[in-house]
Amino acid sequence: MVGYLVAAVKHAFGLHRPGKRVTVLPDDILLASYPKSGNTWTRFLLANLVFPDREVGFGNVHELILDPTVTAQRDFRRAPRPRIVKTHGSFDPRYRRVICGVRDPRDVALSQYHYLRKLRKIDDEFPLDRFIDRFLAGELKRDLGSWGENVGSWLAARHHHPGFLLLRYEDLLANTARQLARVANFGRFPADPERIAQAVERSSADKMRESEKKQGERSMLIKGSRQDIPFVRAAKSGGWRRDLPESQVARIESAWGDIMACLGYELVTRNLHSALESSLLGLLAGGSAVEAGAHREEVLAQTSDGSDSLVERTAIR
Amino acid sequence: MIKRLIHTTKRVLGLTSPGRYFDVFEDDTFIVSFPKSGNTWTRFLIANLLHPEEPATFSNIDRLIPESEGLTRSQLKRVPRPRIMKSHEYFDPRFRKVIYIVRDARDVALSQFHFYRKRRRIADDYPLEKFVTRFVAGDTSDYGSWGDNVASWLVTRQSSAGFLLLRYEDMVAHTVTELTRIAEFLGVNVTPERLAQAVERSSADQMRKLEGANATASVTKNTRQDIPFVRAAASGVWKDNLPERSVAELESAWAPLMKWLGYELALVKAVASDARVESAAPGVSAR
Repeated sequence: MVGYLVAAVKHAFGLHRPGKRVTVLPDDILLASYPKSGNTWTRFLLANLVFPDREVGFGNVHELILDPTVTAQRDFRRAPRPRIVKTHGSFDPRYRRVICGVRDPRDVALSQYHYLRKLRKIDDEFPLDRFIDRFLAGELKRDLGSWGENVGSWLAARHHHPGFLLLRYEDLLANTARQLARVANFGRFPADPERIAQAVERSSADKMRESEKKQGERSMLIKGSRQDIPFVRAAKSGGWRRDLPESQVARIESAWGDIMACLGYELVTRNLHSALESSLLGLLAGGSAVEAGAHREEVLAQTSDGSDSLVERTAIR
Repeated sequence: MIKRLIHTTKRVLGLTSPGRYFDVFEDDTFIVSFPKSGNTWTRFLIANLLHPEEPATFSNIDRLIPESEGLTRSQLKRVPRPRIMKSHEYFDPRFRKVIYIVRDARDVALSQFHFYRKRRRIADDYPLEKFVTRFVAGDTSDYGSWGDNVASWLVTRQSSAGFLLLRYEDMVAHTVTELTRIAEFLGVNVTPERLAQAVERSSADQMRKLEGANATASVTKNTRQDIPFVRAAASGVWKDNLPERSVAELESAWAPLMKWLGYELALVKAVASDARVESAAPGVSAR
């Protein structure tokens, strides 16, 4: 009962977190991505771009890029418009402008595995294949769905929408300034090269590691977690090629090959065209996605290492 | 301030409706569809199938097959499990078992137009073409556009074991067959007699009678009585009633999705390769 009263008073003063009940404004910009897909980095980039006078760190990023599960209702009301809101949620039609961050699910799986170890939700010996079972079934975060459900729902409903910007983590790594300029144009934020360069510099993996050391304990993402595993880890792509056994790669590609192909991620255990055959998403995304995926496969076939520098050329627009 | 406090107090005590933010259980089953796609009829069919002792009416349907937006949080807690619930939501990952009903977007648009006249949301002289434009933009409901809603469920769940796709048109044409599929999906053993009884008790005629007797029940409360809730209960009505321009607008917005579902396009050619379209929609019976 006392708990109820405290909640009611907090609510009346706007100190509670709005969560899913957040009121969406027509000019809100949503930054949506599945966990461990570069969301935090993108938030640092955007915050440094839009608020150059603020020093952005793990301690205050949620005040600048609003997070309904962390930021107080009062701060939602006070935030300058257009507000930038972060989510890990699946498709939500209330938002008219959406930046959708995606990352190769084979890397997402590994990154999530290490993050759950950091949070002490699994121990170091937890078998990877059992983890992949749960990852594929979407059991790790039931309210967010699996990677395929989460990403698939956004692509299914919004792929051709003018208010939808697809941002691949791999492209962001390969040419950060160029991708941030795309984001800035989409959100109509200042996009002069100096300001972009400054935002990229201030959001580098090194700067983020520094901030993690100093302010990590003030962040919900890190608070109380193991200190021997960093939040800002490799900040690279393609780690799965070394660390994920082929049998597990095959399971991920078998479950989500069509979505991966639509996003231009190379498949190594199955043919891209068979993955897209009779795929509803392939049909909805139209020929463009299929061609982009096929083109990427051709380009990759000509190179030995399949490095990510090629990603930029074949990204889906 | 005082008002906010009262509201919050009510909320924490479970006296308000949770809307879409309610607690979902692993064993819940949801009857999901975009509005005006046969959801109420399906609720009647399932309620009559599972509760032969209590024929469904417009006043008990909210208890037999409840919806989260119609109940308070504490009422929702008291619904016996496993629950079968109604919903119009776009994709929600928490719903593990889903019966999804889809209906031809051209009929849905027309049906919603009349329903909004009945609800007094639009006047009788509101231009149908203008309504369809807003319908395509997803501007006529809180559940995304028709295409958003349908595609978000199909792309994520179409091949999953906990998902049953039904077309309203098939249900109209072969009610017993489709209700049998529902019974199998729900894992209930039913006799042909019980199936036939459920279909009979949920017929359009029967539902019209019930609507007349229960004019103040939830779905029809405070609405115009000169426009019925149970209208034609037919498919393909758009052919005679929808302006060509509106048909073209609907078809060009959602051509691949409509083709995949087996809805023949009258004006727009499907954009993507037809070969793939013909072989698609494995869960949908051929006609």
